[in-house]
Amino acid sequence: MNQPIIRVENVGLRFDSFVALDDVSLSVNAGQCIVICGPSGSGKSTLLRCINGLERFQKGDVWVDGVSVRGCQDLPKLRRGVGMVFQHFELYPHMTVLENITLAPIKAKGLSRKQAEDLAFHYLDRVGIVDQAQKHPGRLSGGQQQRAAIARALALEPKAMLFDEPTSALDPEMIAEVLYVMRDLARGGMTMLVVTHEMGFAREVADEVVFMDRGRIVEHAPVDEFFSTPRAERTREFLNKILLKL
Amino acid sequence: MDWQVIIANFPLLMSGLVKSLQLTVVSALFSFPLGCLIAIGRLSHRRWLSGASTAFVNVLRSNPLILILFWFYFLVPLITGRNVNDLTSIIVAFIVFFAAYFAEIVRSGIQSVGVRQIQAGLSSGLTYAQTMRHIVLPQAIRAMLPALITQCIVVFQGTTVVYVIGYSELLHTAASIAERTVRPVELYVTVAAIYFIVCYSASRIARHFEKGAA
Repeated sequence: MNQPIIRVENVGLRFDSFVALDDVSLSVNAGQCIVICGPSGSGKSTLLRCINGLERFQKGDVWVDGVSVRGCQDLPKLRRGVGMVFQHFELYPHMTVLENITLAPIKAKGLSRKQAEDLAFHYLDRVGIVDQAQKHPGRLSGGQQQRAAIARALALEPKAMLFDEPTSALDPEMIAEVLYVMRDLARGGMTMLVVTHEMGFAREVADEVVFMDRGRIVEHAPVDEFFSTPRAERTREFLNKILLKL
Repeated sequence: MDWQVIIANFPLLMSGLVKSLQLTVVSALFSFPLGCLIAIGRLSHRRWLSGASTAFVNVLRSNPLILILFWFYFLVPLITGRNVNDLTSIIVAFIVFFAAYFAEIVRSGIQSVGVRQIQAGLSSGLTYAQTMRHIVLPQAIRAMLPALITQCIVVFQGTTVVYVIGYSELLHTAASIAERTVRPVELYVTVAAIYFIVCYSASRIARHFEKGAA
């Protein structure tokens, strides 16, 4: 068996007295899609930020494609291998969509403008917004902005993608178009770690589901098992709440 | 009142104005980038760097410009070991003094952009410097343009301070003409009008950008 693309081992992180992550371990293999859910403040987003070295953790370590995040001498290079999509898109408002996508490939990877633009158009086509390339993000709908942000992450041709509540800031009618793109990615074999409360997406697309609470992984199971026979009481409680709401 | 004296000396006053403007432009042109560096230093996680930058800003902002000017006027020749011309020490003093003010404007501008944009840049594999250069600063500068223009007005008004070491900018020029012709009222009224026109136009421009940003 190949080594996992992302391996989180016994990671612990605290901000002063607040324990954000407590002995978290998790592996994501190539082509796998794992969904992380849990109440707010449970450490889901923090875990994602630890994986690409945006957050410094005090205990344990994370390996991305065999490279240790803790001992990493070249974090920019490691981060290029992991695309990240944020809740509030975080597109750069002063640049066009095309410039948003080509910035890192040109500046961080050293591609020519032509190469980077070809790549950008390829991924804009994949997320279905080629016609928006020359617009500024402010002119796009929320769903289009998030798809542009996904294209921006894909243009780095990463080994894995991290999604941090990618649909939480969207109006209901726009959630579907973003989930459609993500489903397409997962089916295309992209390795994905997705923080979301979209249980429909989890059921349909995820291989495994992780439930976190208070900085700990409470439950980690294959998707069918997770929904049919959750072991932890806390998971059942959470699932009841979230599924009733839907 | 005899306004003939103004007409006769108008070219001289204009050359004084040009010197004031030159001093303003040169000071702003160098103290703004220096201010950017200091602002980034203040926001750094390295304690010694943020400490030193903060100390610089606080010391400079807690002293009157004229004292800083004296300081450099006597200090620069002492350090370099030879006499530098007056203008050099004036310009160095201006650059250093106003860098502290620019640094504060830039710092609040950078902070207005927000940490999540920085994370987006870093997560795409850009270095911290690249993230600053391509993502944060362009947005920050847009947000702080009105404050920057207002600061340039302050620099322009600050150039009058070099009067004390006899550099012939606008105010000093006017004063010597006033002395020579014994027409102080006409001259100081005219000079006030010139300062008003320059500063008020600049503040209108600043307001224009303020509206544009909103």
